[in-house]
Amino acid sequence: MADVMDILDLQQPSTELTKEALLNSRKKAIFDRVKAVKRPEGMHREVFALLYNDNKDAPPLLPTDTGAGYKQVKARLGMKKVRKWEWEPFTNPARKDGAVFHHWRRTSDEPKEYLFAQFNKQLNIPTYTANEYSTHLKSNPTKWTKPQTDHLFELANKFDLRFVVMADRWDRANHGTKTVEDLKERYYEVLSILNKVKSSGDKKVYAYDAEHERKRKEQLTKLFDRTPKQIEEEQMLLNELKKIEARKKERDRKTQDLQKLISQADQQGDPAPNPPSSRKQDKKLNKKKLQNQIRPSRVDSMVNLESAGIKFNDLRGTGVSLRSQRMKLPANVGQKKTKALEQTLNEFKVDPAPPPTDEVCNAFNELRSDMVLLCELRTALADCKFELESLKHQFEAVCPGKTLNVPLSLINTPNIKQEVMEEMNVDELSQTPTI
Amino acid sequence: MNSFTAATDSGGRVKGLTIVKPIVYGNIARSFGKKREEDGHTHQWHVYVKPYLNEDMSSYVKKVHFKLHESYANPNRIVSKPPYEVTETGWGEFEVVIKLHFHDPTERPVTLYHILKLFQSPIVDGTSGDGGDGKKGLVSESYEEIVFQEPTQLMQHYLTNSQPLTNEPWVHDTDFEDKIVKTLDNILDTKAKVKAEITQLKDKLKLARETIGRFKTELSKVQEETQVN
Repeated sequence: MADVMDILDLQQPSTELTKEALLNSRKKAIFDRVKAVKRPEGMHREVFALLYNDNKDAPPLLPTDTGAGYKQVKARLGMKKVRKWEWEPFTNPARKDGAVFHHWRRTSDEPKEYLFAQFNKQLNIPTYTANEYSTHLKSNPTKWTKPQTDHLFELANKFDLRFVVMADRWDRANHGTKTVEDLKERYYEVLSILNKVKSSGDKKVYAYDAEHERKRKEQLTKLFDRTPKQIEEEQMLLNELKKIEARKKERDRKTQDLQKLISQADQQGDPAPNPPSSRKQDKKLNKKKLQNQIRPSRVDSMVNLESAGIKFNDLRGTGVSLRSQRMKLPANVGQKKTKALEQTLNEFKVDPAPPPTDEVCNAFNELRSDMVLLCELRTALADCKFELESLKHQFEAVCPGKTLNVPLSLINTPNIKQEVMEEMNVDELSQTPTI
Repeated sequence: MNSFTAATDSGGRVKGLTIVKPIVYGNIARSFGKKREEDGHTHQWHVYVKPYLNEDMSSYVKKVHFKLHESYANPNRIVSKPPYEVTETGWGEFEVVIKLHFHDPTERPVTLYHILKLFQSPIVDGTSGDGGDGKKGLVSESYEEIVFQEPTQLMQHYLTNSQPLTNEPWVHDTDFEDKIVKTLDNILDTKAKVKAEITQLKDKLKLARETIGRFKTELSKVQEETQVN
């Protein structure tokens, strides 16, 4: 199809479609394509790579055999002369016996010190005289006697401070059993004392906490020795702990939210036009309020600074604006809140887009701010009710036959006779179940 | 450069001044009663912007740009003198974007959005316009206020020197005065209700919390006892 298009395109000047024109243009088209090695659309890259290689040549039509295939039978090695090797004797400076060995070496290389002698590192293990020992090193004669210490240093020299090997080769028959930690502890103790006394050489202080090390190993051993069952149990307990902590956090958060809500309601509700509760109730509540208010932490008071509802932008810039812009919900109000607001507006049959006069805007914004608080309080109350129910069930499970009475006003919420209900609660509160 | 000269021409902003221009925008739609043969249109409608008060808006409005649905031939209709309205026929409802440009180029244009209404919604939702389906047709209009916060001196001049449109009484299809009063009353009424419910909820919440606390102590007491036993 693309070819046909090419042909037709090229042919456009000559309007008539002759055989010659067709042949000519086709040739030209192919030529063009060969020159411009652009992969035709739809052709796979691999296929295209077979047709056109880097030389940009068209592939040969006949099989060719130039001999240069993929395999090169003979390796083309350099034609230089081979350098000479000689069998030479050498000594290893790490050896003290001066033994002579032989190895192959190029004659062109300079005779040097044995190459691997450099890896023979010598440790600088301090020594002490009998005098020094009796004055300074008799720190704990019951645990470490001089022969024992001598044996330790002898082993240290012999095995280059490889303490594990030293502990293994420790002469138990003559010097009693010692653990790796014991050896290390004594060695570093002696080292630091000698350092202090001589106050020369490296001032490095070696601190070795043997007790810690012993505990660490013990811990690791314990960890290693657990049975699969124990591991399982441990995992289970850990998960349980996590759950408990999460629940605790959730509860704390909820209490804080509730506290926040209540104090906000207090702030907003103070100039409430018609408090539905009786005077007596009010007094009681005030007392409760006081108790509750002692509790809020610093976080609460900080949270309380911001209002419960919505902060509307007050468009105080210069220039032209539409009044209705003032009623726009700010961007920080989430989708959930917006939805709840819509529902509440619907519930109270309020026009969601009232005619925007100054007064209406203010009132409408205040109303919606209150509504947000209302929604939050409603959910909080629902949560509380749920918790009450679950507590009640727990109680009944632990203590069959007995129950806890949820105050009536919290069970169902008809608006009628609120006061009577409240009164009944008070009675109920006093008759708590006695056990 | 351009804005600079414009600003100097406009004579700077008048501090502390706010001018409010109430307007009404919306549409009237009349049904043909049948589907028109040639294009399937069913309604004729006018979409418009007019002043709420009897005054000539052209003293401060340079032009009004109505942006119709893209299926209309040249959907951008610009009206530069009153009445600011577009008359068309159609079969569907869509959002008309209305942009008001002012004489002083320093003041940015404002944009209104109106959902063109052709059909009476089954539920009277209390939004703008009650469709008097009589000979006038279905009316859907909204009240709006353009607030000029510290306008330029030039703009102030334009705004304060508008002439009345007619000598006849200037009335709207929708009684906005009544609507505003009623809406405000409704809002304030609802606000009181909401406040009352908030106080009530607050009390209940306190009671609930106390009861929760009481239940918890009871529960732990019982649990302890069972553990001892």
